[in-house]
Amino acid sequence: MSVDRSGMLGALAPGFSRFLVGVAALLLASIVLGVVSWRAHPAVARRARAINRYVLLGVLALIVLFPIYITVVNSLLPADKIAARPPTLFPTHALTGGYSQAWTQGHVSSYLWNSFVVTFFIVAGQLVTSICAAYAFAFLRFPLKRTIFVIFLATLMVPFEVVFFTNLQTVVSLGHLPLIGRFLGLDTYGALAVPFLATGFGAFLVRQAFLSLPRDLRDAAELDGYGHLKFMWRVAVPLARPTIAALALFSFFDAWNQYLWPLVVTDHYRTVQVGLRQLSRVSLDQINVTFAGTVLAAVPLLILLLVFQKQLVRGLTAGAVKG
Amino acid sequence: MLQRRIRHLAVAGTVIVALAGCGGGSSSKGGGGGGTTSGAQALPACPLAALRAAKKPVSITYWHAMPRANNDELKKLAAQFNAQQHDVHVTLSGAATYPDNFTRFKAGLSTGALPDLMQGEDASLQAMIDSKSILPVASCIKAEGADISDLIPRVVAYYSVGNVLYPMPFNDSNPILYYNKKAFRRAGLDPNKPPLTFAEVEADSRQIVRSGAAPYGIALKTDSWLIEHWLAKSGHTTVNNDNGRTKRATKVTFDDATGISLFRWINDMVKSKLALSTGAGDNKIDHYLAVGNGRAAMTIDTSAALGTISQLFAAGRFTNVELGAGPMPGPSSPNGGVLVGGAANYILNRSAPEKQAAAYEFAKFLATAKIQADWSAATGYVPVSKSAATLSPLAEKYARAPDFKIAYDQLLAGTVNPATSGPVIGAYGSSNEGVRGAIVDGISGMLDGKVTPEQAVANAAAQANAAINDYNSRVG
Amino acid sequence: MLGYALVMPSLLVFGTFIFYPFVKNFWLGLYRTPPFPNLPRSWVGISQYRDVLTSTLFTNSFKVTVEFVALTVPVGIVAGLALAVLAHQRLRGIAVFRTIFSSTVVTSVAVASLISLTLLNPQIGLLNYWLGRTGSLSPLDDPKWALVAVAGVTIWQNLGLSFIIMSAGLQAVPDELLEAARVDGAGTWSRFRNVTLPMLSPTLFFATIVGSILAFHSFGQIDLLTEGGPQDHTNVLVYAIYRTVFKENNDGKAAVLAIALFAMTLVLTLLQLRILERRVSYER
Repeated sequence: MSVDRSGMLGALAPGFSRFLVGVAALLLASIVLGVVSWRAHPAVARRARAINRYVLLGVLALIVLFPIYITVVNSLLPADKIAARPPTLFPTHALTGGYSQAWTQGHVSSYLWNSFVVTFFIVAGQLVTSICAAYAFAFLRFPLKRTIFVIFLATLMVPFEVVFFTNLQTVVSLGHLPLIGRFLGLDTYGALAVPFLATGFGAFLVRQAFLSLPRDLRDAAELDGYGHLKFMWRVAVPLARPTIAALALFSFFDAWNQYLWPLVVTDHYRTVQVGLRQLSRVSLDQINVTFAGTVLAAVPLLILLLVFQKQLVRGLTAGAVKG
Repeated sequence: MLQRRIRHLAVAGTVIVALAGCGGGSSSKGGGGGGTTSGAQALPACPLAALRAAKKPVSITYWHAMPRANNDELKKLAAQFNAQQHDVHVTLSGAATYPDNFTRFKAGLSTGALPDLMQGEDASLQAMIDSKSILPVASCIKAEGADISDLIPRVVAYYSVGNVLYPMPFNDSNPILYYNKKAFRRAGLDPNKPPLTFAEVEADSRQIVRSGAAPYGIALKTDSWLIEHWLAKSGHTTVNNDNGRTKRATKVTFDDATGISLFRWINDMVKSKLALSTGAGDNKIDHYLAVGNGRAAMTIDTSAALGTISQLFAAGRFTNVELGAGPMPGPSSPNGGVLVGGAANYILNRSAPEKQAAAYEFAKFLATAKIQADWSAATGYVPVSKSAATLSPLAEKYARAPDFKIAYDQLLAGTVNPATSGPVIGAYGSSNEGVRGAIVDGISGMLDGKVTPEQAVANAAAQANAAINDYNSRVG
Repeated sequence: MLGYALVMPSLLVFGTFIFYPFVKNFWLGLYRTPPFPNLPRSWVGISQYRDVLTSTLFTNSFKVTVEFVALTVPVGIVAGLALAVLAHQRLRGIAVFRTIFSSTVVTSVAVASLISLTLLNPQIGLLNYWLGRTGSLSPLDDPKWALVAVAGVTIWQNLGLSFIIMSAGLQAVPDELLEAARVDGAGTWSRFRNVTLPMLSPTLFFATIVGSILAFHSFGQIDLLTEGGPQDHTNVLVYAIYRTVFKENNDGKAAVLAIALFAMTLVLTLLQLRILERRVSYER
């Protein structure tokens, strides 16, 4: 006979009680250590404080990681085990069936491929257009330069969420163009990437980097017979590499994580974010597949985080200014 | 294997939401005499001659929204069609859900990327007509002099507006009661006698809760189509102008004693803890899960999920469930009068003439008795053809698993009048917007305890009328 | 002229996908638009702006959006700062903790939403199970808790980013200043309040602005977790626009909502541009 236990603390499910007791014990230990360190001999106190810090950091790390952890666990369980109570918190018999199903029948492989293609074009496009425009703003003189720069900055004031559905109509119309329409119309890689091939923020960022280069560099290069384009690619770009790398990483994140635009513009070329939405629409008995797909979708960024941690921090902090 | 069923379950829960009118039947009873004649006069021509003259085979594209297992079955039928004649060659293109299919149709109206035949769900009937992009199948039936007397009249009536049949009926489903026989037994109830009326649902639920057989009697999803069916079963329309069948509907009609009594029943059931409310949302299947994990002994949802649900509950971990099915319980005893649900096939008038005629050929093929018997036996849908139920393999299936016949029987039963024809609304919407969203919001507000049933109905009606007005003002 | 040639590709993209649709929105807002693109639209003029901006749809979405920003931004920043302060110490193995605290940056909005969707599921979710509420309404279906739940997911997803930004800010605080304060006898809390926090204020300020802009434009988590429900309690402005376009098929109305969204974020964006400018002056 089952009883409605909603809201009754005393009837908390045993698993959670144990978990709560564990957390409480850790916190208690941490407090005790804190008190000890306050009173005790300096040497003892120092050690106690250090342990205390680890305990605190450990508890917080557990909390931050738990959702990710349980997702990985669930991705390795058969579907009915996930729904079973009490829940399985450790994968005793890890199954990778969810992954192979997500990869093939769940189409995660093609979702990932689409994401890679689109992200590649966006990142490459943004780098090229930003560097070119930034060079013009930093090293060239031409009429209306100031006005055009203001136009670049003004793009930051129009969030994409404001114009996405009007752009959808534009994409539909572009699809009618002869020849190139096939690559720009609804449900194409072009439609996914083209609206993001330029960024006012990127141009601004690279311009700052160019402006910080020594002025006489250009003069010296000119004496060596370097034209503008040669100077740009051979001298300016290599010197601004940290900024450009940061921009590239930021663009990658931004493009990879896009959700609204791929949702409305694609059907056959779903990116991984929108593909996950599709995966989530399956039901209970496939839930391990959904989890496996979720994990797979996070892997590329995880690799990026582990390999490029330093640059990533720079990219995200610089990029975060853009929002 | 497993995941195919499950996929079906999810989609069934999602998509079959759109149950609308049945009956309406022969126009003379619908009270829409005026609509009858004017509709018949306005029929555009069906270019059957173009197909005869065309170079064969004529290739057509069919956009459907049948997931996995049903998709496989549909592929089989298309292959059979392509093999048995050489005038028309059909290619399938599937979307995941009806709304997805409709979305790409809408995009196609501006890009020109459109199919020749398209599967549209029941509730989209008025919207499809308003798109001005479909050829009424009635034109072709008339031009060919085809005999459609084998189609179930209530289904024909449902897809007819102003006495013009717009799409060719294809796959139908309607709500049934799912219940746990083991819980019934534990509660001392007869496991082979599911409740048929509100009063019986209430009494059985009380017995179930009191005996401890389950914490709740019934799990209820907050869903507009329950209300739509119960209105029909009460002989009451949902919108005016004979449920929108004689003239475009301009306002809802449930803001009266009947509507209030339906809202109040839900409210009383939930407030007295006899019913578990599992919230709103087209993708939600929590009401099934509540039956599965023993929280509730009954729930109501589409018959299209019966195959999936019974397989799901028969296998694995739901050991405390023995699934039973019954007709959808209603405010009073007769159990017919449920609305027609599912989807039908629309011919697009944007296609070349010979393709329009070719699309008609395939739509007609899918609605024939033999194909309907195959299709319904494989998918669990209700056939749209009368004689399909007597043909193999459907006849054998109904004999073997009578639960699958419940939806069919309650579709055939019941009177035919404007109310049981079901509403035709342009702004039908989903659980989030339009008329359905308004009803869902009304019920949710009431269950949150914010408003009385009377106020909830008034709120829902006001919100629904606003949606109808807004839509109508935009189609001119 | 080389200068024009170099800026032209960018201008082409901006013109087509930012400025043209932006201007078109204002124009579209003057029309009552049909549910299907092949039907005629009719001129209704400025009245549509008045109607939409006074509708409960807009006022509700405005309120929900502001509440969402208020729920996510301060908590997100404080949580990121707290973790950053804790991880900003010389301890063996601290790098491991730093990586863990930044780890949620690998979760996109879809990944984070799917993870939490299952944690929060009423029937199979761990949260309801641990609270002894299995089978009861999920917080996502509860009008009182839905927005809070979505905000919680958002905060968790952005925690990594917040941590990274705050850590970078902390690293920029000169050690000599803190050392000097220590010599003057300032305690841990006093050093944090009087030295670290003031030095960190530009970072905090800019995190607030950027975080607010991000929160204003939230969409994915709403789409995946609640679809704007229950009863529009999570129907933030961007989601309302999406729904108006794709469910109601009413582009004219959506255009007005989009312009309102633009106006709401304009102030924040101008502030952000000011910061960009200031940063420039620092850097040069």
